Amino acid sequence: MAQAKRRGTGAVSMNMTPLIDIVFQLLIFFVLTAQFQQLEIEQVVLPMSIAAEPKDPFQYRNVIINVVKPDNPEVIVMGKPVAYLVIDGDNELSSLLKARKATILETGEKLNVILRADEMVPYEVVASVMLAAGRAEIQGWWITTDIEEPEDLLD
Amino acid sequence: MARAERREQPKKLQPPMTPMIDIVFLLIIFFLLIPNQQAGEGYLTTNLPDTSGPVAGKQQKDVQRIKIELELPDNDNRGVNIVLNDTQVFGSNFGGLLAALQGLKARGLPADHPVLISPWMGTRHKWVVRAFDMAVVARFKNIHFGVPYD
Repeated sequence: MAQAKRRGTGAVSMNMTPLIDIVFQLLIFFVLTAQFQQLEIEQVVLPMSIAAEPKDPFQYRNVIINVVKPDNPEVIVMGKPVAYLVIDGDNELSSLLKARKATILETGEKLNVILRADEMVPYEVVASVMLAAGRAEIQGWWITTDIEEPEDLLD
Repeated sequence: MARAERREQPKKLQPPMTPMIDIVFLLIIFFLLIPNQQAGEGYLTTNLPDTSGPVAGKQQKDVQRIKIELELPDNDNRGVNIVLNDTQVFGSNFGGLLAALQGLKARGLPADHPVLISPWMGTRHKWVVRAFDMAVVARFKNIHFGVPYD
């Protein structure tokens, strides 16, 4: 009888340790994925567009290809410059895209190329990236732009 | 007797809030400090031609498509000269191109009528994007780019 009374009045405390463990795991996950995303994106002056739609590029299986330095263009993928010049057979960029596509072949997902090119880059470089994507048989092509109001663009 | 009274008093359930608040503040600060590089950015989406088939890379001259050629003006490798269907010249007037495209659309061309944007190799990327923009605003959906074929 005495034992039953002690059970009824005992203090109930939450075990915080696993909660804190999980919160730390989440924190580390978000920190690492944020850094991973930063690696893919280079700072460029994007062209303006009134028809572009906002989307989350990290929601899909995408390859982000940055084209920087309009006067001496470089193609950068995952923070590293890659050779993109059109030559017979594969170049470094098309090989990289083929390898990336091969990793998702089993899942059946569609792979898109997201182009982040400086607005003053000559089309020659963009066309070379298109050819590399074509050689890797990637058809989804996203062009990154800054969104602008229609009245501003047609001034 | 006094001991029995103490036992009967209901005790407050208070989980330790300090570490939880610490973590929540850390998360708030983390998400506030992340630079949001995607803010204000958007995407123009299209499909590249299938280059895996037997006719890949060959010009398809039999298709009646709208052709927007983006040339480099003389003495200005940063400018653009717009030519529509090899006949109409707009200089750098994208408003004129849009009006012409809307005129073609108004004549009954379907939204999936092919539009080919064919820039010269030195044409700046922003002009290519703007031509794409005009085609989208004119409600064409089947827009492609001309690329050199090998």
